[in-house]
Amino acid sequence: MLFKITGSLIVILSCTFLGFVLSADCRKRPQQLRDLQSMLQMFENQISYLSDVITEAFMRIGKVCRSETGIFFTGTVEILNEGRNISACMAWEQAVRQNIKKTALNKEDEEILFTFGKMLGCTDLEGQIKNIRLALDQLKHQEVKAEVSRNRNEKMYRSLGVLGGIAVVIVLM
Amino acid sequence: MGVDLIFRIAAIGILVAVLNQLLIRSGREEQAMMTTLAGLIVVLLMVVKEIASLFETVKTIFKLN
Repeated sequence: MLFKITGSLIVILSCTFLGFVLSADCRKRPQQLRDLQSMLQMFENQISYLSDVITEAFMRIGKVCRSETGIFFTGTVEILNEGRNISACMAWEQAVRQNIKKTALNKEDEEILFTFGKMLGCTDLEGQIKNIRLALDQLKHQEVKAEVSRNRNEKMYRSLGVLGGIAVVIVLM
Repeated sequence: MGVDLIFRIAAIGILVAVLNQLLIRSGREEQAMMTTLAGLIVVLLMVVKEIASLFETVKTIFKLN
């Protein structure tokens, strides 16, 4: 009897936790998209007004950032500093691929970042700025969609977690 | 048979009603319908054994076998 109660409690708690994790993911995504946009804006300012090298600009941006999206920038700098004679485009792509799981961004955002990375460091200043503006536009679009999705899904995932746990307990016991 | 089964069916009924309302309010009506159907199927599976034994009882009482 006691086993049954502890077992059902564990199942309910774990399902609730799962629901909360999914809900938190949903909640963080618009904020991270906003942070990503402001960082790209900073990057644009750095290279157009300060004529910075990419590594230094990324280092500075990565340090200033408040959320997990700064990890793309610091990751790129780390990969470039490993000295394997790799280009900025490849380093950015690798950094994004490694770190996308640590953020709340999804496949579409990843695609946008990859597109941004392909032009990185491969064209002149004007080209870079156009590239950044394009990425900013697309991210803005994604942010609006993410905000809508957040309003719909956040509470739902939480309730779904709790109720799903209770359903499993009732059906299996 | 026991009262156990009745309580379980009642609990599943309440759960399915709550889930239904939740999903409809979130705008996901197809999924709401799916959970209702799923709840129905689960209850049916739980009850089918009792129905089988009901038929057995009827057959033996009226000596129809």
